[in-house]
Amino acid sequence: MKAFAAPYRDVWGPRRARLVAAGLALVFAVIVGRSAYVAFNGPDRSAVPVAAIETARRADIVDRRGELLATTVEGVSLAVDPSAIWDSRDVVAGIRSVFPDLREDALTAMMADKKRQFAWVRRGLDNDQIAALKQLGVEGLLFVDEPQRRYPGGSLAGHFLGYTSVDGDGIEGIERVYDARLKQGGEPLQLSLDASVQFVVEEELNRAFEDFDMKGAAGIVVDAHSGAVRAIASWPQIDPSRRGEEGNDAKTNRALNARMELGSIYKPLTVAAAMEAGAVRPSDRFDVSRPVKIGGVTVRDLHPLTRVSGAAATAEDILAESSNIGASLIAQRIGPERQKAFLGAVGLLAGHGGEGPSWASPLLPQTWDQTAMATIAYGHGLSVSPLAFALAYTPFANGGNYVAPRFTEAVDPPSTAPRRVMSKRTADAVLAMMRTTVTQGSGKLADANGYDVAGKTGTAEKPTANGYDPERNITSFAAVFPASRPQFVVLVVLDEAQPRTGEQRTAAFTAASIAGRVIARAAPLLDVQPVLEATATRARAEADAR
Amino acid sequence: MKRLAIIGGLVVTVLAVAVYRAKLSAEETQVRIDELRIAAQAEQAAIATLKADEAVLTRPERIGAIAQQQLGLEPANPDQYVAPEALKQRLGEEKLRLAPPASGATPQPQ
Repeated sequence: MKAFAAPYRDVWGPRRARLVAAGLALVFAVIVGRSAYVAFNGPDRSAVPVAAIETARRADIVDRRGELLATTVEGVSLAVDPSAIWDSRDVVAGIRSVFPDLREDALTAMMADKKRQFAWVRRGLDNDQIAALKQLGVEGLLFVDEPQRRYPGGSLAGHFLGYTSVDGDGIEGIERVYDARLKQGGEPLQLSLDASVQFVVEEELNRAFEDFDMKGAAGIVVDAHSGAVRAIASWPQIDPSRRGEEGNDAKTNRALNARMELGSIYKPLTVAAAMEAGAVRPSDRFDVSRPVKIGGVTVRDLHPLTRVSGAAATAEDILAESSNIGASLIAQRIGPERQKAFLGAVGLLAGHGGEGPSWASPLLPQTWDQTAMATIAYGHGLSVSPLAFALAYTPFANGGNYVAPRFTEAVDPPSTAPRRVMSKRTADAVLAMMRTTVTQGSGKLADANGYDVAGKTGTAEKPTANGYDPERNITSFAAVFPASRPQFVVLVVLDEAQPRTGEQRTAAFTAASIAGRVIARAAPLLDVQPVLEATATRARAEADAR
Repeated sequence: MKRLAIIGGLVVTVLAVAVYRAKLSAEETQVRIDELRIAAQAEQAAIATLKADEAVLTRPERIGAIAQQQLGLEPANPDQYVAPEALKQRLGEEKLRLAPPASGATPQPQ
């Protein structure tokens, strides 16, 4: 009972109250502190939802002057929700009225899968298609906004630009080579290409088809000092918007990925190799009046020389009249090893491992012996891509340096320095011989007025399983202009060009004329001033003739 | 103690209202930012489309044909170029042919 006598004293009450008060004060302090932090620093950046982070828009591709070649725009694609479609026959019929190329059985099977809520029908609709589909008024159609790649130039530089898949992955050409860079978005990818020059080359190749009904063609313009590729065209053209729907023959980029025996346009290289080795001087004379047997091959000319006696032809005469015998005799003075080393130095014996698109590796002779040496001297027995060959002419235009190709406008200084492959003296001497070839020899039709063209024709019979076919050939013209202050290399290659009535099946009548037209139109676009002296000389000659 | 509790309660209430308003304002700002971002994206998309349209309209084959048909323009012929030296000479000749200024004429300030 004693224990009950003392009044009850709750000694823990005030302590609990203080404890609760302290807890509340702590919570209060945290709230105040956090409020102050938010007030002064703004919301936590890491709290931004992932969905709010934008995906980069695929970068545009522009030419060297900023002309748009490829861009990404917001487009609309068509999908269906099969689970929302009750009567698929109307929907299938409606869709096929707009897209007759879609198969009825495939669409019906797509609509029959009622577990699916989404299936693509056609990506990248144009405005007419969207309007037609909306007018159908059928159920289950979904119009999905998504970015789409567009090529405003149509087929312009189609092979070179390449294209993307419907999902925006680069799968051909520049779109594939620079896919990672383009996917980062940001500034446009600026190519070295000049859209206007590219257009000129492509239009002239189209005209070549009207004139010569050829099977295929390639045209290239390269700045011989910087290696910048200003135009690179393959015919037939392709439209990148069609994403490779054309046949394989059209899809092949003949300027990069075809390997061809290009014929006598090799002869200036043969002369340069021999002069550089000190084995031939411009004044040396060769007897090209009769066939010559070298190794296992007897080399002949299609016609005797007309400028001089065939018994005493100089290297200049041999180039001007395209003597196979003469080229073989010149090559014989240096032998297979030195010939091979020289052609390797000008980039003809390997593929491209540098920046930008690669090109086809060359097809070399199994044994580089006397026979191979004799035929390669005039352009048979070694197949290379046209771009590789165009670059091999750059030393003639810049005083003896081989320059690597450049496909984009330089942001940084070039990573590879020009490589000296011949002396300036040799380069200038061979260039002068090529100028004579145009003014007095087989390249007359390439002599664009005022642009002082130097060049060489090439006519090569096509190899078949049964030997060379005289009815099918590759005609080509490789040029440097203007010869008095060289700036550009131009190469035109025609595959199985048919001669016009009364004309021969040779480059002098086909590729040379196309190259001349390309130079006449492209030179002003490339800021090449005409050689006024040449213009005046020609005007005087024409006046005298009248 | 009671007074302290009342003051504390008031402060908490005021802070709660302030935080609520700040949150509401932040949400409104976020909505505005999203709207502007969507508008900017739409404008960028429209610009891209317009640039593509411009590129289509300025294709060389189109411009070339219009320039030829409607303006009679042709690519420059090398004969139309003149060397700077020849131009200077020509200008010099033109100056010599100019009539001398009338007597008493004074140059006017320009």
